[in-house]
Amino acid sequence: MTAAVALELDAVGFGYGRDAVLHDADLRVREGELVAVVGANGAGKTTMLKLALGLLAPTSGVVRLFGTPVASFRDWQRVGYVPQRAAAASVLPVSVDEVVRSGLAGALGLWRRPDAAQRARIAHVLDLLGLAAVRAAPVATLSGGQQQRALIARALVTAPRLLVLDEPTTGVDAAARATLRASLEHLVHDEHVAVVYSSHDPHALRGLADRVVEVRDGGLHDVAPAAAPAPGGGR
Amino acid sequence: MDVLTLGFMQRALVACVVVSAVAPLVGTFVVQRGQSLTGDGMGHVAFAGVGLAFLVGVAPLVGALALTVLAALALYRTERSGLAGDLSLALVFYGGIAAGYLFATRSGGGLNAVLGLLFGSALDLTWGQVAAVVALALVVLVAVVALYGPLVALAFDESAARVAGVPVDGLVLTLTLVVALVVVGGMYALGLLLVSAMMVIPVAAAAQVATSYRATMRLAAAIGAGSAAVGLLAAYAGDATPASSIVLVAIGCYVVATVVRARRRRPRAAGSVAS
Ligand SMILES: Nc1ncnc2c1ncn2[C@@H]1O[C@H](COP(=O)(O)OP(=O)(O)OP(=O)(O)O)[C@@H](O)[C@H]1O
Ligand SMILES: [Mg+2]
Repeated sequence: MTAAVALELDAVGFGYGRDAVLHDADLRVREGELVAVVGANGAGKTTMLKLALGLLAPTSGVVRLFGTPVASFRDWQRVGYVPQRAAAASVLPVSVDEVVRSGLAGALGLWRRPDAAQRARIAHVLDLLGLAAVRAAPVATLSGGQQQRALIARALVTAPRLLVLDEPTTGVDAAARATLRASLEHLVHDEHVAVVYSSHDPHALRGLADRVVEVRDGGLHDVAPAAAPAPGGGR
Repeated sequence: MDVLTLGFMQRALVACVVVSAVAPLVGTFVVQRGQSLTGDGMGHVAFAGVGLAFLVGVAPLVGALALTVLAALALYRTERSGLAGDLSLALVFYGGIAAGYLFATRSGGGLNAVLGLLFGSALDLTWGQVAAVVALALVVLVAVVALYGPLVALAFDESAARVAGVPVDGLVLTLTLVVALVVVGGMYALGLLLVSAMMVIPVAAAAQVATSYRATMRLAAAIGAGSAAVGLLAAYAGDATPASSIVLVAIGCYVVATVVRARRRRPRAAGSVAS
């Protein structure tokens, strides 16, 4: 039995102005699969992930989430997104708990507060990411790695089947990377979540991805994970 | 205190406290989204609405409400199209001041009344006006409570909120409309130029000492209400203009909050010396 396709890009093209950032991009990610998207700064990784999430509309081709074209996709609880940023910047004080809880906003809608199952899920993701001890702390007082994990916890709070992370390892030290790697391994292998993460550093989570895709010259190119160039010996 | 037995003081107190408590609730979202000056701009547009109301002979509240709602829709449009941004905001708002002044001078006798609404006239309110203020504040309060979760998600991270399934576009429009309601609601008591100060200053003060978003919001509402009560009584005692003294008291709260914050930090930095 093959796992369901969580994300599909079918001949997707996109440009911010006249110049194409992506053309004829094809990608399929199944549940239980972990795909790394690599590429130099400005190659188009973030653009590709935003297209995958419907935050940008392609100029050609189709994006499907769980088989549904992204424009008509409504089941957003099945998708988690961790945007690219160095820190969880906030103008006003916000606690870790509030950041994580805000991931439930779409699921809850108006008036409603998290029920027992949702509160249990919040506690679970805080545990999973090692944030239980700081849940009441203002995010601004956390380290960069902890802030990044708070954003991952927010994305996981609806128990998504597809998790998209944009540069989750930027500004995160070796120990925090190990925690991140363990969390992602758990999600992919035990919960069979589809995970797509981008990184400008192909070695950031070396050996973790089932597949590595490189964004280069506006196209997506498969790179065998085993054949990923060694540090210093790359293309 | 027998000042509180005076009818005009009771009306002023109710109107100022209600507006100053509700404005920061909305302000928390506006400030977090980096749009602190939206309220100020709405005040400019409401000024045009008031001028127009005098010109065509309807209640100022109706004119202000009509034009700010139109401005909210226009702002939403330009913000979503992502084209002109800042510039179109400026166009709408300066257009508001220019049109407001033109309308007001054309309407002849309305000019003084229009100018009065720029700084408010808390001590000259009728119970009817107070009732209108309270009604607008209630609408704002209900909207903020109902939309609290989605608004927090939106204010904190718009893209992530969208992917979480929050109807971001409708919510942004609603928030802009709510800002318009606060500005119009505060027009009589605090005036179109200073009402937006109460959307921002109490929030800035609360953010100095609070450790969560919810706490910031509650504390900001309390600071707003407290500043209104203290500022109004001070204005009465010192024969000053209520709106100015209310805003100055709020700024005083901000200064106190920054001092409290600095004091809290100092023992930790100098801890080894002290203990
Ligand atoms: N909002 C925008 N408007 C116009 N051009 C943009 C916009 N965002 C990105 N670009 C351009 O599109 C290209 C791809 O950008 P993108 O952010 O997708 O790259 P990236 O691979 O994520 O880079 P990084 O490693 O720095 O995160 C770049 O040339 C960038 O300048
Ligand atoms: Mg990027």
